[in-house]
Amino acid sequence: MEIYLAQLLNGLVYGMLLFLTAAGLSLIFGLMNVVSLAHGSFFMLGAYIALSVTRQTQNFWLALVLAPVVTVGIGLLMERLFMRPLYRRGHLDQVLLTFGFTFVFFDAVRSFWGSDIRKLAAPDALQGSIEIAGGMFSTYRLFLLALGAGLALILWLVMERSRLGAMVRAGVDDSAMAAGLGANIPALFSGVFGAGVALAALGGVAAGPVLGLYPGMDGDILIPSFIVIVIGGMGSLRGAFVGSLLVGVADAFGKAYVPALSMFLIYLLMAFFLLVRPQGLFGIKGGVAPAGMVVAVGAPFNRPQLARRLAWLALVVLAVFPLFVPDYHRTLVSEIFVFAIFAMSLDLILGYTGLPSFGHAAFFGLGAYVVIVLGSLFGLNGWLGLAVAIPVTAMAAAIIGFFCVRTSGITFLMLTLAFSQLLYSIAFKWRDVTGGSDGIGIASRPSFLGWSLDDPLALYYMTFFFFILSYLGLRRLIASPLGHSLVGIRENESRMRAIGYATGEYKLLAFTIGGTLAGFSGGLYALFNGFVSPEALHWSASGDVLIMAMLGGAGTLVGPVIGAAVFLLMKNLVSSWNDHWMMIIGAVFIACVMFFPGGIWGMLRDRVARVRS
Amino acid sequence: MSVLRLDNLCRSFGSLVVTHNVNLTIAAGERHVVIGPNGAGKTSLINQMGGQLQPSAGRVLLDEVDITGWAPERILHAGIARTFQKNNLFFNLSVLENLRLAVQARRASGFSVLRPAAARVDILARAREVLVQVRMDADADRLVRNLSYGEQRQLEVGMALAGDPTVLLLDEPTSGMSPAETVGMIDLVRSLPSSLSIVMIEHDMNVVFSLADRITVLYYGEVLATGVPAQIQANARVREIYLGASH
Repeated sequence: MEIYLAQLLNGLVYGMLLFLTAAGLSLIFGLMNVVSLAHGSFFMLGAYIALSVTRQTQNFWLALVLAPVVTVGIGLLMERLFMRPLYRRGHLDQVLLTFGFTFVFFDAVRSFWGSDIRKLAAPDALQGSIEIAGGMFSTYRLFLLALGAGLALILWLVMERSRLGAMVRAGVDDSAMAAGLGANIPALFSGVFGAGVALAALGGVAAGPVLGLYPGMDGDILIPSFIVIVIGGMGSLRGAFVGSLLVGVADAFGKAYVPALSMFLIYLLMAFFLLVRPQGLFGIKGGVAPAGMVVAVGAPFNRPQLARRLAWLALVVLAVFPLFVPDYHRTLVSEIFVFAIFAMSLDLILGYTGLPSFGHAAFFGLGAYVVIVLGSLFGLNGWLGLAVAIPVTAMAAAIIGFFCVRTSGITFLMLTLAFSQLLYSIAFKWRDVTGGSDGIGIASRPSFLGWSLDDPLALYYMTFFFFILSYLGLRRLIASPLGHSLVGIRENESRMRAIGYATGEYKLLAFTIGGTLAGFSGGLYALFNGFVSPEALHWSASGDVLIMAMLGGAGTLVGPVIGAAVFLLMKNLVSSWNDHWMMIIGAVFIACVMFFPGGIWGMLRDRVARVRS
Repeated sequence: MSVLRLDNLCRSFGSLVVTHNVNLTIAAGERHVVIGPNGAGKTSLINQMGGQLQPSAGRVLLDEVDITGWAPERILHAGIARTFQKNNLFFNLSVLENLRLAVQARRASGFSVLRPAAARVDILARAREVLVQVRMDADADRLVRNLSYGEQRQLEVGMALAGDPTVLLLDEPTSGMSPAETVGMIDLVRSLPSSLSIVMIEHDMNVVFSLADRITVLYYGEVLATGVPAQIQANARVREIYLGASH
């Protein structure tokens, strides 16, 4: 009995912490239609700032007040300076912007406070435990329950009883109408955004003594909070409350009794809700409005002769380059080739068809695991493994795509995320096959045209060959009637249907082709790396490839290649003389979203077009 | 012989009835204009014929085949093409590419990857034919977003024509057009082959009476009257409710 009660209590405590993050996330989404991916970062910032405050003052209570205040300042700066200029653009641009900030904040935290796991000390008054019904419960956890419940009550009162709350509710229902009735919408946006940040930061401080502090805690609270608002209903405070407690308790009992399936079940629940009841338990916003996004549209490169010369030049340079550089650079460029294929495969879905996938790593990781697992458990040759990986990922992409392409915008983004995390949790837990969090490797690499891939030069030409092959294949696809149809869907799906296209089938086809090519690149990565861990499937891997595609220029083929190169060069070269590659890449990405929506390649292309005319 | 027939069509949104027991028969080659005050349910009616909106009850029959509830793309292939009241085009693509996509859908090659789209000269040739038909041959390479509103209205008609329809649904083709452009649109509709059946929503009475073989007046979702223009002009209730209200 005490065991159950203890689990229940743990679940409720975790639920309360989730609520503090999810409530803000949900209100911000409800009002501004923006899923703030930086929301977990504010949770993390709050906790770390509290760490510094308690170190200086030894006063937890001061930290509980001061840390959220500082964090709100940072959050409001971000909202005013960066998000506000983008209000007129698609909501997805703002989502991407907040994603850029997760890099910046992550890097900032890591460099200020280091990567070690820290713990915030609970205040002296709340040390120790209390006996209830024959069981011992930590006083601090009981305090968290009271804190969460108290804040929920206050929030509820503000929302339901005050004039301010009425304006927020009106804004959630219809912000244009609310503005017409005299609500100051920009101020309301800032206010709700700030309040959301305050709650998240408060949650971070409160969680400090229980969950610990580490860079990466942002994602670990953000993703469960997504699940909460999907289940509870986006934009609904009550939904966030009920959803948090449900997920918290389910998580606690799951971890205690069915550890192998606990994460899996929660992601499955999320996918189920998105498909069957996308508005969630208490949601007001039913079908989320499709989020427009900016890709590199406009005049195609209008100098075919110049383009052809540049392409030949690039080909020749890349073909002779490895002969003159050390192994380190050969390996680095090989990695770029692999990720360029991965990023191009995403771009077929994201840039050409207009579907914002946030779970593309699912197919990359699956392809890599197929090659490595078959190689290590059955000794299967890597090339045969790759031949198996292609149909396996094609099938997975077709099945996942079947569910995902029925949705669009933010729902599509969340659903692809849920499916990829589903695969991640399998790889993480199925230790016998995948090696769990340790990952798994193969003893030896196959050869390429009789040339051992243990030689970096062979590896280089192998990946180069498949990169050229993928590029040419995709270029052909994009020039074909199918490619034009996909662009038509991105531009205007309802018109496409009116002129006779069964767009659902086209979207599924694009998703499947993109997923299969991602699986292929994952298989190549397995041959390149000889090792794979669940990181390859993690949502941050999906985020990385999204950044590559957008940074270089989504909606073009060259763009993702440039993006992959810039990203990996930053990661590998910048990190050798400067620790802050993540901050730099985050800042570059933010600048791109704000000023060069067409990415690096889109900008260059426009420059050339302007010089010409 | 009727080409398109609406049989007791009904549609409501909650308690709001936008289409109420509408019966309508369109003959082959007929130019049928639907008029009615704002909120009469004209666009909802077109949306139910085009598949954008599902009827709550009743049937839509094309050549006596029940097409009620079919998806828009299936209805297009069955022979009904439409324009939209609000320009609904590929604004970032060229005029020719807009039409080329519409032609491509009918040539059953949308999934093809074997040849570049630019190599399908048959599709391009047909797209250029439509371009001439809607008098936009000088604008082939312009981006749609750079066209004037009136030019975009013209392209709307071209997009529907490129679908090789037997029934053409035009949702206020002249709305937002200058008087000169409106005359051009009347000319364009007149120049269409006489075998084509046209159902058209229109507000401009000059357009209505210069094109219509028959007119249907909708009022709060119901058919108030159907008949040749002279009958409609003579109808006392129409004069009272509709013409009286706007003139």
